[in-house]
Amino acid sequence: MPLFSRRGSGPRVFFATDIHGSETCFRKFLNSAKFYEADVIVLGGDMTGKALVPIISNGDGRLHCYLQDQRHEFGADETDRYERMIRDRGLYPFHTTESELADLRRSPERLQALDRQSILDVVQQWVDLADERLEGTTIRAFVCPGNDDMTEIDEILHNSKRLEVGEGRVIDLDDGFQILSTGWANRTPWNTDREEDEDDMARRIAAMVAQATAPPEKLIFNFHCPPHGTALDEAPELTEDLGVVGGGRVLAHVGSTAVREAIEANQPILSLHGHIHEARGAARLGRTLSINPGSAYETGDLQGAVIELDTQGAVKRYRLTIG
Amino acid sequence: MAEVTAGGADSASTAPIFVRKATGLVRGWAMVDGSIYAFYACNIVLGLWCLSFGSFIPNGSLFWAIVICAGLTVFMIFTYAALTSAMPRAGGDYVWQSRILSGGVGFVLAMTGWWFILWHWVPIYANITVISVFDPLLQIVGAHGLAADLTTHTGVFVSSLIVIGITWAYISLGMRSYARLQRISFWAGGLAFAIFVILMLVNSHADFVSAFNRESHSLYGAHGNVYAQTLKKSGYNAHSLLSFNPGQTFLMVGFIAFYLIYPNWGATLAGEVRGANDMKKNVRAMGAALLMVTVFSLIFLALFSKTFGWQFYNAVNASYWGGGPFTAYPFPIMMGGWLVSSHVFQFILVALFSLWIFGWYGTVFLSSTRVIFAAAFDRILPEWAAYVSPKRRVPVAALLLMVVPSVIVALLYAYWGSFATYTLDAGLVIVVTYLGTSIAAAIMPWRLKRVYQNSAVAGYKVLGLPAITVVGVASAAFMLYLLIIWLSDGVFGVNNVDSLIYMGILYAIALAIYVAAKVVRARQGMRLDEAMNEIPAE
Repeated sequence: MPLFSRRGSGPRVFFATDIHGSETCFRKFLNSAKFYEADVIVLGGDMTGKALVPIISNGDGRLHCYLQDQRHEFGADETDRYERMIRDRGLYPFHTTESELADLRRSPERLQALDRQSILDVVQQWVDLADERLEGTTIRAFVCPGNDDMTEIDEILHNSKRLEVGEGRVIDLDDGFQILSTGWANRTPWNTDREEDEDDMARRIAAMVAQATAPPEKLIFNFHCPPHGTALDEAPELTEDLGVVGGGRVLAHVGSTAVREAIEANQPILSLHGHIHEARGAARLGRTLSINPGSAYETGDLQGAVIELDTQGAVKRYRLTIG
Repeated sequence: MAEVTAGGADSASTAPIFVRKATGLVRGWAMVDGSIYAFYACNIVLGLWCLSFGSFIPNGSLFWAIVICAGLTVFMIFTYAALTSAMPRAGGDYVWQSRILSGGVGFVLAMTGWWFILWHWVPIYANITVISVFDPLLQIVGAHGLAADLTTHTGVFVSSLIVIGITWAYISLGMRSYARLQRISFWAGGLAFAIFVILMLVNSHADFVSAFNRESHSLYGAHGNVYAQTLKKSGYNAHSLLSFNPGQTFLMVGFIAFYLIYPNWGATLAGEVRGANDMKKNVRAMGAALLMVTVFSLIFLALFSKTFGWQFYNAVNASYWGGGPFTAYPFPIMMGGWLVSSHVFQFILVALFSLWIFGWYGTVFLSSTRVIFAAAFDRILPEWAAYVSPKRRVPVAALLLMVVPSVIVALLYAYWGSFATYTLDAGLVIVVTYLGTSIAAAIMPWRLKRVYQNSAVAGYKVLGLPAITVVGVASAAFMLYLLIIWLSDGVFGVNNVDSLIYMGILYAIALAIYVAAKVVRARQGMRLDEAMNEIPAE
């Protein structure tokens, strides 16, 4: 039974974001179109994971690894299960020994190379999976790497037969809608792969907007970074050494002023955001409905939003989901 | 490409894991603030008032009831810590129950327990403030008339408005200012507590008898040896502090639970706290608060026994509840302050200690706003219920949904005599919500198998059983026990028919909202339950 019982005449969009390498979430994303009867599925930025987890050989045929600070010891016959558990959490498993691990700790370059290769391998697997699952369907699936995604993954994504990469493009949807995407973000304390000053963000967005031909009521912004000063960009305030202030309950606006200005100036009917996992919600900026569905990728839950658009250019209804 | 390092941002982590420098990689959240919030929720000033009920069960032991209640509350702490770790979502009880039990059950239990019933806590907060702060302070400065005015209908209503106003101000100031005020209040109240402890230790029982008679004459216009009259007229004959009558002491837990079972109060905010899925930290934050309040409570009792005299402490409480001879609320801090004859000192001591009350105010609405947000995100409540003012970051709509009904309840409480009895349900309805969450935790490994197996909680077993099931069952049993004694024994005052009908009406209203939402959303072509279903991950 679908989430919305009556079909509208405009496209129905499912949007999820920040799955950070969680295989469970990616598989759910691919199944989301059928589950929510969506015509268009959009995966916002930060698809790739943040950590490598070594599966260490004990030397006696058994192995062990650490997950969430718990030591798990297991036989070779359980390796697949543990690898899957690690991948489901958005982490990358690799096999090693204690001595190799010690070498790795001393070699940042090797560690970097291992991390890079793990990410690229998984992105390739995901592209293959998406191509297989979406083949023969009319579903349009968009991805747009975010600030935590290294640029090397773009080439793999572009080679997909079914995933469309949105970065920097204006893409036509049914009924005259157009979607503009960027995964770039304003500066963060982590100096991530795709972040830049607000002025540069503004220029990047302006270049896309200049190419758009649809009227505002048919425009959708898919910008990874949420607009500054809304409920969608509130993150725990940090100290200089990246500790949290007030037990993590003191929040600060960390979104992009360039994104906000672009929304206020152009008034798209819908803007889709992520980046700040805790800031799940919706906000109105003039005529624009802005949504950040948040992320709970660590638990394998795919937080998202189903949005039904009207052919005339209005959001008929929307719903935040946890699927 | 981003740097990759061993261990992650939190240097405390020793497990071999290599973390890439990515957004959100922060050091672990500070346990202190979470503990302070929980400490306020299990409010010791409310606790002192609850201890005054000890005289209603003369054969029970307050001391051992506190120990037992704290011990049983540990199961609840583990239950909430496990759920927070497995599903760290803003909305806490509502989200867990709606996903594990069902959307309707989750909404009805959580909304009644976190939304409607908190309106009824406002007059309770106000009453505690009046008897523990305003009355002693006004008596000390000689404003006896004004103190008397606070006991009138209008006085009670105005006190409730003060609670609402201060709470609104806290939340409007934002979490940064609230966290700062919370810390300042915590340490300042702690200073008052330390002064009280010293006073009680260095003064003898005879000193207190003399001080009590002096100040009860001076401040309350009493005559003669009020100490002796109180002991004699109350007719109360307490057992010793450490005597233990199991049946009566377990019954006494029903009074203690009224203040000790809220260390989980911050759980509804978990979705906003990065790192909230760290089960050990959750346990430590809540456990530290419970331990603090428990130890402080026991210290209070030991000091009362030493300096007030155990017989007198219970007699003066019986006197307060039973009509004399000393009819003012025998606020222990006030009585301890009397050991110093200076009224200026007494004023400062009570005023300093009162910060443990004012810091408590934030807890009455703050956690509830997150439950309202979660229901709005699920579209059961309208979208506007989750509106947050962009400039001040104030959850205006959710706050109004708390404040407006609270004002109405405060009016009823103040001007409609029998309504005050209904507020005794305030604890009962919350326990029903806890019961629902405890059951949800117990069955989570089967109802939300994937989420459970994906969480750190799955790594904990007790005799081969999922630990979350074991603690969930134990917590549910504790909650059931509380409900049984509250409903079956008249000493708690909640087992009257009017109370039950009133409670039933609150649940019926929640159910009506849920059914109405289903109907309205269905007309809009939206099925409420569908958004709670999991997408297949094959």
